[in-house]
Amino acid sequence: MKYILMMNTMKAGSAPFPNWSQEDVRAHIAFMIGFAGDLNRSGELVSAEGLAFPEEAKLVRAGSDGRPVTDGVFPESKEFLAGYWIVEVARPERAYEIAARASAAPGIAGAPLNMPIEVRRVMSAPPADPA
Amino acid sequence: MKYILLMSGTKAGVETYKAWSPKDIQAHFVFLHELNRELRERGELLANEALADPNQAKVVRAGKSFSPVTDGVFPESKEFLLGYWIVDVETLERAHEIAARLSGGPAPGGGQLSMPIEVRQILSRSSEEFQ
Repeated sequence: MKYILMMNTMKAGSAPFPNWSQEDVRAHIAFMIGFAGDLNRSGELVSAEGLAFPEEAKLVRAGSDGRPVTDGVFPESKEFLAGYWIVEVARPERAYEIAARASAAPGIAGAPLNMPIEVRRVMSAPPADPA
Repeated sequence: MKYILLMSGTKAGVETYKAWSPKDIQAHFVFLHELNRELRERGELLANEALADPNQAKVVRAGKSFSPVTDGVFPESKEFLLGYWIVDVETLERAHEIAARLSGGPAPGGGQLSMPIEVRQILSRSSEEFQ
């Protein structure tokens, strides 16, 4: 079963690592690289991506002529996706275990962040292929 | 440049999709299937996933000794990711064009949905920000 583990931790207009020392940022990134490496070696990692900071994020809608209409104003409460992992595991409990590891990524002075990680099932095939 | 196009909706919004007639759902999936094929033929589509129903979503945090603590209660306003497309395109404008196409998928009974699509840049793993 495929699950997506999402870090919805970014807020509009806030710095990516407020008040973090360079050393803390480096330790955090080293953790993330090691974490992805572990999942890769265990054969559980399907894909992972990190997203750019949301200052250039736009909401796009189709206008009446089909042309894009863009909007870059978001409510302050909006959570932005910072990155995700897709893992292939036998049962949801394993996905939760992996998510808990990501949650405990090091923050300021190495203290675990305990950030929320949203875990969702990914559909294995695109629905209703009409061909 | 790699961009991710995120299609999201609130739980209430997802419930309205469930009320669509099978014919309307089929028409929408045919539209998505055709668009995916077109993007793939142009070499622009890198990845596409659909997520399962948000009813099964969990938020996971690291508890004591990193054991997962799960929570499945969300505020009504929370937006859930329904699916995403990762595209590799020359310009941001092209990413917005594709997002507008996605946004303008067929609504029940004809016409276009104009659902908002969030467009964000993806950091490539060799990005200097992570050196």
